[in-house]
Amino acid sequence: MFEIGRICVKLAGRDAGMKCVIIDELDHNNVLIDGQTRRRKCNVNHLEPTNQSVEINKNAPAAEVIRVLKELGIEVFEKTKKAAKASERPRSAKKIKEKLVKQPVIEKKVKKTKKAEEAVVEAAPEEKTETPKE
Amino acid sequence: MPAPKFRSRSLRRVHRVTPGGKTKKYYIERKPSIPKCAECGKELKGIPRMMTSKSKNAPKSAKRVSRAYGGFLCHNCLKQKLKAEIRASN
Repeated sequence: MFEIGRICVKLAGRDAGMKCVIIDELDHNNVLIDGQTRRRKCNVNHLEPTNQSVEINKNAPAAEVIRVLKELGIEVFEKTKKAAKASERPRSAKKIKEKLVKQPVIEKKVKKTKKAEEAVVEAAPEEKTETPKE
Repeated sequence: MPAPKFRSRSLRRVHRVTPGGKTKKYYIERKPSIPKCAECGKELKGIPRMMTSKSKNAPKSAKRVSRAYGGFLCHNCLKQKLKAEIRASN
């Protein structure tokens, strides 16, 4: 069941839930795995085999593992190492908040009917006295 | 009588002896309880009992375990769920 080329899912650790291929059998308890997980030794109790298996050489390099898994549809994302020095890491640009500028209030021009115009004309002398208070 | 702001039971009262030898009363805020696994109810490990005022500025790695479903499921429940999912799809 745990032979070279068997696709498994890791059950424990940081890589739990990720798919991997068995590349080498170290002893009756441990195997070497690679794929979406890190390339390392793993206990057979921490793996759950699937019904898929692949033809792969013993101790295949990482590039070949990625190619073989891609044919099955399992995508392996490139692992980039974080730069040790903080000065070498990419810095995100500072977000500058735009100051909101108050825009002047524009009075909407409402279409008035004839009846409304007459009412406005009648009330005009009253309106003139009201506006300076505002 | 303590001042109104100190009467709340969300503060615990602790009697401590000062270097001068006097016993003094301190009002210390209570820490939140230990988080439990969503499936089995066991206490989760790797999560410190931090006040939200401190956990707000703490990095994400200081508040949970670096595993899938880190602060939500215990390692046993995660294993069971993964196994069930794989065996169903096989």
